[in-house]
Amino acid sequence: MGVIEEVFSIDLPVGEQFRIQRCRYTPQSGETKKRISIVSGIHGDELEGQYVCFLLGEWLRSNPEKIKATIDIYPAINSLGIDSITRSVPFYDVDLNRIFPGSKNDFLPAQIADGVVSAMSGSEIAIDIHSSNVFLREIPQVRIAKSQADTLVPLANKLNIDFVWVHDAVTVLESTFAHAMNTLGTKTLVVEMGVGMRLSKAYGHQLLDGILNLMACEGFLDIAPLEVRMPIQSEVGEVAYLNASCPGLFVPAIEHCQMIQKGEIVGEIVDPLSGQTLDEVIAPIGGILFTLRAYPIVYEGSLVGRIFGENG
Amino acid sequence: MKRIEILNFKSPNRAPLKVEGFIFGEESAGTSIAFIGSMSGDHINQLYVASGLVDYLRQKEEEGKITGKILVIPAINTYALNMGETFWPLDKTDINMMFPGYAQGETTQRIAAKLFESLQGYDYGVILEGRRDQGMCLPYVKLIQSGYEDIDSARDLGMRFIHFRPYSPIETVMLQYNWQLWGTKACSVVFGKNGTIDRVSSSEVHGALVRLMSKRGILDISAFEGYASNIIEPDDITVLKAQCAGIFDSLVGCGVAVQKGEVLGRITDALSGEKLENITAPIDGVVTCQYANPLIFQNSIAFRIASAISKR
Ligand SMILES: [Zn+2]
Repeated sequence: MGVIEEVFSIDLPVGEQFRIQRCRYTPQSGETKKRISIVSGIHGDELEGQYVCFLLGEWLRSNPEKIKATIDIYPAINSLGIDSITRSVPFYDVDLNRIFPGSKNDFLPAQIADGVVSAMSGSEIAIDIHSSNVFLREIPQVRIAKSQADTLVPLANKLNIDFVWVHDAVTVLESTFAHAMNTLGTKTLVVEMGVGMRLSKAYGHQLLDGILNLMACEGFLDIAPLEVRMPIQSEVGEVAYLNASCPGLFVPAIEHCQMIQKGEIVGEIVDPLSGQTLDEVIAPIGGILFTLRAYPIVYEGSLVGRIFGENG
Repeated sequence: MKRIEILNFKSPNRAPLKVEGFIFGEESAGTSIAFIGSMSGDHINQLYVASGLVDYLRQKEEEGKITGKILVIPAINTYALNMGETFWPLDKTDINMMFPGYAQGETTQRIAAKLFESLQGYDYGVILEGRRDQGMCLPYVKLIQSGYEDIDSARDLGMRFIHFRPYSPIETVMLQYNWQLWGTKACSVVFGKNGTIDRVSSSEVHGALVRLMSKRGILDISAFEGYASNIIEPDDITVLKAQCAGIFDSLVGCGVAVQKGEVLGRITDALSGEKLENITAPIDGVVTCQYANPLIFQNSIAFRIASAISKR
């Protein structure tokens, strides 16, 4: 059984503490310095990671003899936000994933970030599970900054995900948890899957298999590696963004993220007031529709989908 | 004066978002300056100063005192202002985190792109900024070291303090940084307490804006000299944190000179009323900013004191 520990606590004004808890699993015998951290809930409206944490905890509870190193599970970093459908840090309205590595001398969100980094630094690997947001549904994917690709892509390929997206480094992303941890030498993978405020059970089980496989391959678990899928690699093609051309109600023509042909209709933007169809959203390239809008209200520019198409 | 539409952006059901600008001396070949008011829904004081400036400039125009070209955009995110939100009401993104903008991108990237386009070519730019935390402060100039910053024009505002510092990663997507990179001598004037109007700070900021325009030959009036601005570097600031959470009582105002050992604020237990803490100045200096909410979090920054440390 894991040991539940409080790794960060700070008094709130009226008789309560903001806290971050983890559940730590260690080998039944022997000492280990080797450690992995599984993280979710940096955004309070993203819950897919909570389910993965549960599934992993359940597995570890029933297989304690397989544990070869320290495994830390942090289901709820922004615990105030998770319990109140608040994406940002409540009261301050600050995106926690834009404030890393944080600081002890700054406002509450920066202190939380600092607390997270100190709790996890020293981990060999961290897996930070996000679920997009309430607007978009994503197939299980890992996003990696180009500068980290050499180290991280081989690890991501073990995670039983569908897509590895290597993107250009953007300065603003230097304030994310993943960047802070990678800088400190913890190989940190960012998983995006599912949709905000909801659970996608199948994705949860898919990622659990991936995490077990990664932990088997990297020496955290004494089990045989699992059969996992090889993700599509973003280097071999291009990503097309589908943005709404006008405001209205987006009605998808397809249910889930799937393979799509060039010219196929992804959905329609309609006007409930006049009863007119304002625009058809057409796939500009063929490929895998790995992002699809889940929240129907759109403005001009709202992202309705992303397609990855292989070159040639 | 000419009232122009900077952008007109349709909504699914609401009346369109209309961002308006006021131009004075449009035909002038002289020096040009642009002012940006409220970019988020809680920056009410910035709206107040900007609209007050429009009214002032209208009078000066009638008196024939305008010798350059002036653009004032009092409010960008009117949708948020009209519903008590801080950020873009649908996806909660911050327009001031979207620069230089992207015309084919997400909604707020498109709004930022449109706005940024209308700000090109000005010699000077002043962004009226609110705070990004729950504090309030003595009005100050924030000038980031992008490599293109211009300290001389910042000095012409004649404000007491210029906070001059390296930029953080998130500032690379904010207006000041991008405006500087695109060749406008841009700075921010930060003041007030979000959601409120402070008349003393407002008139101080108004005076500074007029002084800058007078010194740079945009307004043909004589303005009183301001301060010989003190350049404050990060090392000059002493941060005083609340050891305890609870009810916060400040005993001093922003701008007050304090002495080492002076009690600046008190914290009491929110439930028992017990006196928990006196917050005492550890150094002589000027209170530049303080926490401005009656409930305080543990380790929150209660006061910042500026002292001339880097000058020693
Ligand atoms: Zn997230």
